[in-house]
Amino acid sequence: MSPNDGIIAERPVPGVPRPYEFPDTFRTTLDNGLQVVVTPMAGRELVAASLVIRTGAADEPADIAGATVLAARGLTEGTEVRDAIALTEAFERLGASMHAEAGWDAVAAGLDVPASRLEPALDLLAEVVRRPSFPSSEVERLRDERLNDLIQAKADPRRRAEEAFVSSIYAASSPYRRPAGGTPETVARLTSAELRSIHSGVYGPAGAALFVAGDVEPAAVTGMAERLFGDWTGGHAGVTVPDASSAVGERFIRVIHRPGAVQSEIRIGYPGIARKTPDFHAVYVMAMILGGLFNSRLMSNLREDKGYTYGAHAGFDVRRAPGPFAARAAVNTEVTVPSITEFIKELERMREEPVTTDELSSAQNFIVGIFPLRFETPGPVVGSLSGLFTYDLPEDELIRYRSAIEAVTIEDVQRAAREHIHPERCAIVLVGDHDKIGADLEAAGIAPIEVITDEPEASGHGG
Amino acid sequence: MPVPVVEFSDERLPNGLRLIVAEDHLAPVVAVNIWYNVGSKHEVPGKTGFAHLFEHVMFQGSAHVGKSEHMAIVQAAGGTLNGTTWLDRTNYFETMPSHQLELALWLEADRMGSLLDALNQENLDNQRDVVKNEKRWSYDNRPYGQWIHKLLGHVYPESHPYHHPTIGSMEDLDAASLADVRHFFETYYVPNNAVLSVVGDCDHDQVRAWVDHYFGAIPPNPDIPPLPDMSLPPVIGEEKREVVEDRVPLARVHFAFRAPAFGDRRLDALDLATQLLSGGKSSRLTRRLVREERIAQDVMIGAVPAVGGASIMLGSATVRPGVDPAVVEAAYLDELAKLAAEAPSQDEMERARALTEADELGYLSRVEERADRLSMYATLFDEPAMVNTILGRYLSVTAEQIRDVAAQVFRADNRVVLTYLPAAGSAEAGEGTDDTGEGTDDAAAAGDEGEAQA
Repeated sequence: MSPNDGIIAERPVPGVPRPYEFPDTFRTTLDNGLQVVVTPMAGRELVAASLVIRTGAADEPADIAGATVLAARGLTEGTEVRDAIALTEAFERLGASMHAEAGWDAVAAGLDVPASRLEPALDLLAEVVRRPSFPSSEVERLRDERLNDLIQAKADPRRRAEEAFVSSIYAASSPYRRPAGGTPETVARLTSAELRSIHSGVYGPAGAALFVAGDVEPAAVTGMAERLFGDWTGGHAGVTVPDASSAVGERFIRVIHRPGAVQSEIRIGYPGIARKTPDFHAVYVMAMILGGLFNSRLMSNLREDKGYTYGAHAGFDVRRAPGPFAARAAVNTEVTVPSITEFIKELERMREEPVTTDELSSAQNFIVGIFPLRFETPGPVVGSLSGLFTYDLPEDELIRYRSAIEAVTIEDVQRAAREHIHPERCAIVLVGDHDKIGADLEAAGIAPIEVITDEPEASGHGG
Repeated sequence: MPVPVVEFSDERLPNGLRLIVAEDHLAPVVAVNIWYNVGSKHEVPGKTGFAHLFEHVMFQGSAHVGKSEHMAIVQAAGGTLNGTTWLDRTNYFETMPSHQLELALWLEADRMGSLLDALNQENLDNQRDVVKNEKRWSYDNRPYGQWIHKLLGHVYPESHPYHHPTIGSMEDLDAASLADVRHFFETYYVPNNAVLSVVGDCDHDQVRAWVDHYFGAIPPNPDIPPLPDMSLPPVIGEEKREVVEDRVPLARVHFAFRAPAFGDRRLDALDLATQLLSGGKSSRLTRRLVREERIAQDVMIGAVPAVGGASIMLGSATVRPGVDPAVVEAAYLDELAKLAAEAPSQDEMERARALTEADELGYLSRVEERADRLSMYATLFDEPAMVNTILGRYLSVTAEQIRDVAAQVFRADNRVVLTYLPAAGSAEAGEGTDDTGEGTDDAAAAGDEGEAQA
């Protein structure tokens, strides 16, 4: 008897898909301009809510870079009514977890809370967003923690690689050249005054929206929003597009020398595309085939064929202006140069060789198929609707999304690759042991090489 | 606040495969989850890292599925997937649009039934290289990277199966042979050593029919070797201290304690205690070390549950520059001692309970998590119903029970103190690590030698 007796060879065919539509979403705008977006999801007891301000770290003055991120963190450090501890305890009594953070394009202050306690939780959210006190002692602590974190980041190969990569690909005029949380120089300047000025300048109903999803009634939520935010004023209505000027001309290599490193962190890329580009769906499908799917061209080559790495990926970080396109991997030190060669080869092949129908349909089926999985719970629903608002996309983007992905053709993918994949003008940033890889790198003649050795940090920031 | 009850069926195929099905038609998605009752605790000296390496091999193809095709098929069907290996388990899971459920069952059955048909030296060598890079990436090339391995080594004696890291050693990975892989598969990857949970938009009778069809012919292994006795004394018996000079900018003090085994009610109390200690801005350690005295950049504490003899309690505090690590250590231990001396207030208890309840509501709202919990409780305790009773257990913990378990666990003769110091003269002295956000997740992250950024 063969050991495989009874093992079914025939692959089952899919059943009939149960139709899925993105849940109906109700939008109203209060008289003061605040948008209220409610997505009822029956049976979802844990409700997600998020107040989004459409102004982010890319919009702040360069000399106080980091103020937007620090201000978002500072929201939960105390209000006119209570201090941070009392505030935290009030959220905890409701079983609500509160989070506030800022990114390049927006600030989001949100919470997850059982539906029965939504109203008192929103009450607290309103207090945090509208009346933060930014106590100077707490701001100093947050500032010192951020400065220490920046020191820590330099010693972590991955974070060092990301930081070196963005500072290599963006021009000095672009905010994207620095970390969203600011640099040691700018963060050191931050006090309560800068945080208050960010708060009074951009927090307000103009350019803001409240998103709520879960087992809720739209009318009831709108009523709560009216009561809690109806008399809110101020804010910044416009949507600006940040400077994303590139610093990448001819291909170059920058090595951050890390003696004794057992792996090289590799980043290859340049400024990519903005979220609002008309070509978004074709570019997304193309990037999925290049370095997004498990069996992407990069993974199949560098991991499953060569065993150089645990993972090789590529993708476009989309923002209001072109965020970075990056191909990434951490590879065994000895195979650093062959890995770079394979990366470049795959980027070239993406431009030159049309994708197969199998590659295209795998990517499309994945993106379309996981759509209902993504929106199983309220949190991601709020996240995606916030994205539409932040990137100024049409309200029906999520309704049209799957058909837009399905409409992408092999020709669209190749056109997207030719327009957006540029192996001949990219930055190649490495964090690794230059003593071990330098000679091979030189001999390979891939591009001019610059080597940077980090200076030791003198000291961090104590109490 | 009602946390919904998970209704499920629980049955066995004639070949021993345990099948648990929970229907939930809220969203058109379904989760398939298999726990094999094999983890790094089943490894013997000289063969460490094997369970995890094997997990990678499970994605290399079987009789009717090509190399890496498992991933491709699931993704092209609009699904997500992964696998993890840890002390007590290896699990594999897919979340699919519900009309693709049969495909996921077929894929799992094909590799359970016919993995060896596709196994060859080339695939093994390739995945060995991938795993060695995973080890470098996850541990060797990170500041403070070896902390979890050092703490496991101190809390569990050398003869104990939790003593060695799940990721294994480079030497042992190099030594793994095809014969080892075959033997491992034939021993452990058998239906009577697995629990299959299917949760979501499905029909029980249809699932049972498919599972009979695809898994029914896979033969069991009647001779799965028993684990050695893993029982341990409740405390380590002495304080263990280690100082490591490393390329880190900020000093960090790591703590570990031997703790009651997973399933022991006292571990429930200890879990709640960690919420009081480092669960938020107002938690005791955060409040004192980070916010008030400002001697630490971040703090954490959390239990890693394990069924074999004892769990491990992990803690850490990253030391602010210019502060003596001994001061941080003393303040940290002082807070643990206070919890051991005096029961927490009713207000603290109520807040911890409200958060625990909301967290549970969040976890159980996802079919993937529900399926994993059902498989876990069935595998480790033969009691999948714990998915519904665990919250009640947490909510019934009293303030006195927290004090008592703190007194039993946070003892000087039961602790490990591992201090990382910036290496003197190193070019990196005055430099650092992963961000604070990652730091607080370390205990959880350490739980998964994950496969595949699928």
